[in-house]
Amino acid sequence: MNLSGVLVVARPDTLASVAQALSELAGVEVHQQDPASGRLVAVLEAEDVRAETELLRRVQSLPGVAMAEMVTHYFGEDAQIINELPAESQTYPGLSEDALAELNAYPS
Amino acid sequence: MHFSRREFMKSAIAASTAATVGLPLTQLAQAAAAELEKDWTWDKGVCRFCGTGCGILYASKGGRIVATKGDPKAPVNKGLNCIKGYFNGKIIYGQDRLTQPLMRMKDGKFDKKAQFVPVTWDQAMDEMERQFRRAYREKGPTGVAIFGSGQYTIQEGYVAAKLMKAGFRSNNLDPNARHCMASAVAAFMQTFGIDEPAGSYDDIEMTDSIVLWGANMAEAHPVLWSRIADHRLSNENVRLVNLTTYHNMCSDLADLEIIIKPASDLAIQNYLLREILARDAVNWDFVNKHCVFATGPYDIGYGFRPKNADKFAWAAEMGIVANEQEHTLDKYEAVAQRRQPGEKVKQANAATPAKHWLISLDDFKKGVEPYSLEFVTEVAKGDADESDESFKDKLKQLADLYCNKSRKMVSYWTMGFNQHQRGTWVNEQTYAIHLLLGKQAQPGNGAFSLTGQPSACGTAREVGTFSHRLPADMVVNNKKHRDLTEKIWRLPPNTINPVIGSHFVKIMRDLEDGSVKFAWVQVNNPWQNTANAGHWIKAAREMDNFIVVAEAYPGISAKVADLILPASMISEKWGAYGNSERRTQHWRQQVPAPGEARTDVWMMLEFSKRFKLKDVWGEQPVPGLKEEGFPEGKLPDVLAEAEKMGYGPDSTLYEVLFATPENKKIAWPDAVAKGHDNQTSSLLADGWFPEKALFEEYRQFGTGHAHDLAPFDVYHQDDVRGLKWPVVEKDGKWVETKWRFNEEYDPYVKKGAGIEFYGAADKALPSGNLDGITDATPKPLPGKAKIFFRPYASPVEQPDSDYDLWLCTGRVLEHWHSGTMTRRVPELHRAFPAAVLWIHPGDAEKRGLKHNDLVWVESRRGKIKVRVETGGRNVMPKGTVFVPWFDEGVFINKLTLDATCPISKETDYKKCAVKVYKV
Repeated sequence: MNLSGVLVVARPDTLASVAQALSELAGVEVHQQDPASGRLVAVLEAEDVRAETELLRRVQSLPGVAMAEMVTHYFGEDAQIINELPAESQTYPGLSEDALAELNAYPS
Repeated sequence: MHFSRREFMKSAIAASTAATVGLPLTQLAQAAAAELEKDWTWDKGVCRFCGTGCGILYASKGGRIVATKGDPKAPVNKGLNCIKGYFNGKIIYGQDRLTQPLMRMKDGKFDKKAQFVPVTWDQAMDEMERQFRRAYREKGPTGVAIFGSGQYTIQEGYVAAKLMKAGFRSNNLDPNARHCMASAVAAFMQTFGIDEPAGSYDDIEMTDSIVLWGANMAEAHPVLWSRIADHRLSNENVRLVNLTTYHNMCSDLADLEIIIKPASDLAIQNYLLREILARDAVNWDFVNKHCVFATGPYDIGYGFRPKNADKFAWAAEMGIVANEQEHTLDKYEAVAQRRQPGEKVKQANAATPAKHWLISLDDFKKGVEPYSLEFVTEVAKGDADESDESFKDKLKQLADLYCNKSRKMVSYWTMGFNQHQRGTWVNEQTYAIHLLLGKQAQPGNGAFSLTGQPSACGTAREVGTFSHRLPADMVVNNKKHRDLTEKIWRLPPNTINPVIGSHFVKIMRDLEDGSVKFAWVQVNNPWQNTANAGHWIKAAREMDNFIVVAEAYPGISAKVADLILPASMISEKWGAYGNSERRTQHWRQQVPAPGEARTDVWMMLEFSKRFKLKDVWGEQPVPGLKEEGFPEGKLPDVLAEAEKMGYGPDSTLYEVLFATPENKKIAWPDAVAKGHDNQTSSLLADGWFPEKALFEEYRQFGTGHAHDLAPFDVYHQDDVRGLKWPVVEKDGKWVETKWRFNEEYDPYVKKGAGIEFYGAADKALPSGNLDGITDATPKPLPGKAKIFFRPYASPVEQPDSDYDLWLCTGRVLEHWHSGTMTRRVPELHRAFPAAVLWIHPGDAEKRGLKHNDLVWVESRRGKIKVRVETGGRNVMPKGTVFVPWFDEGVFINKLTLDATCPISKETDYKKCAVKVYKV
């Protein structure tokens, strides 16, 4: 489980509709709101990092959202989150022996 | 009310977020936050990444970082983070973290051609010592080198500088900051006689006009960009201009976007200078009181090797590197430099590019005269699809903005200027504009050089980890500076080597030609970050040398090393950084380092225990040394003098340079730690606190010399979020300086002077005209800044019929430098998993390419594979492609050209010629 606190900024007159749209997204909860400054805090919950990143993208692309920045990040008690790497980076250290051999043979 | 664990955590995170950004909190939310965090330890820290210097709060529990957030009390970022900053806590937890020393070994012995094998720290240090002694015996002080960093903590840089310059008597210490802001430094020194910006980030909210020159702040300085965005969006009158070689994220907010050809910034600056004069927008009172006019030679080469270029260049490179000896002027240079097209110019000043002299105002006017709107449009218009009329109109609008006497102006730049074959010139020309307008060193007015790395200013520049520098803007080739340094360091006279050492690129070249045989890499990734990398990889693996790489993760440099030392990372050590606005910020160690990873400070101190004075302070060969008071080609034996000072030949460098009686008085443990640990002190186990003692020692250099810093403990006070130097004690309080050279703010300006450019370097000059010196008598210019004339010069390699595209490289928002840290954070890796080639859709179509095709990109120096991107955040003009450099799998620095600004020795990563074709 990944949890992030996100600051969402919208034009003050659209904040209510942005909040409504946010709360209809699965995995998003709207918390504190400040209608005067057009800002609200949303908490994003996602199963894994892929879903988390995707969710933030969806928040950012909602009509009326001027900015959505992650502010607080919680990952403390879940070693799986910390160590979870996407498939394409499982092969680190990056350069394979073949690639290194190719580098050493440079510039042939 | 019963909360489930998950609901409870969500409330707590929401509350923490709201508190950070200043939103009102309910009591329930406050209680939830307090409950979740009850056994967390929060402490202030600094972001690991760019030169902005955002404050980060770290929470740790049981020896692990459990949360991070933007520091609401930090004046730089006011609680905000960019996406990289937000993940500071996670960079230390990558799966392939290096946790033990690794050495190439065969049959129990070091073997350069063997595979890496885990070894103990003792084995690692024994081999390092053996290899160091071999190189030192064979080549002397010039045969060893350290690749330092703009990401060094202040203390790391100070230890490296003292170990190399005082201990080993070698000036071959140079940081990757050479690649990043050496041009800014050279221009500061030449223009103002002292390094670093006059203004501060407060200028953002106090100005009404902001011009970006080659600075993609939206991706490279996102938090400062959010401050600019806020200011622009909340003030109708604010104007924002983006001068760039391609449409980037900054353009989306800009009122005016000007797409220019690579290197044509110099022509545009001269057009502006000409307009300022023609429209009489000059602030004559300011210019007459505070400025002089100056120029220098144009025939200064391109920063290639002076001789033997043919020996090391590959066949395809020959034509380009030959320009170091002779360059044929093209049609634009002919007009810009008042010569004939096709004229062959011997590069007579390649070895003396920095010399300069005073000229008259009339000569200055003559210099800028060719830069008419028509000529500059021809040189500079960067988008083939834009009409001349449209481009001219934009240049006029830019001139209107600068010339408007009622407007405040800030100009920002980063790598577009600094990584430039005439990087020093292009920096200087921006000061020329601001000085001529009198818009410098006042709130909301100033040319402000942004820095790329977290302590390029605080360490590389202020501590002086460059091959020519000593602390506090002093230099090794100045006797007075060496004398003062030897006094503070308690060294015998003439211990310090007076010959400037090898700069970053030259250390690579020295490895290739066999003159450096031992190199130690600290806090950076030279084999990924240095242009024309194919040469240097070959040099590392095939030449007789020993490469030590202290690293946290296995990047390219670690892979080409002979010995890898596992390094502690930012939250695993004590340290301090200095950001772009002269703000020095300290932090405590938060958590223990994993496995056998250890601090760079410990590594250097431990290494220093292995050398005695008799090993290094006897007579030493230095090829080419010719200096008054020194034997030719040699550093003198200073052991007899050392004995008079109370040292013995068997005293170790550790005792003489670091664990001095004075420093050992600063004991560990110390109350300032508030229960936090210190790995360096624990491992040394001899009772002192190196990070504090060495900072206090270092402070002596700047105190009273306009580089004053506060005591160590002041920075650690709960209510301090860094201080901008000079920091001077006044009525028992340590007071920072927001604007330098301005009497109202800067205690170093003489009373009644108003503005005073008091920097002391290069403040007596000969006089002459645009063509050279006519009167060699040095004329003193106390308190003055220089307005330079510098002409347009074309890039040494340009697209032709074979290599038909410009290649520009740079950053993306999600990744830091070579990606060794940010690619280990799953969120960041997923957000930008691999580098791509941005290309104009028309250029792609012409080559039969479409989005996501795999292509070869090839230059005269190599070729790599990458995927095509025709959309997204950057929109390229026809003829230019962009590839970011963070991805070692898309090793773009194999292709880039190692031409440098001849004055600053900073590489131009922004322009070389390539071709693109389908795999």
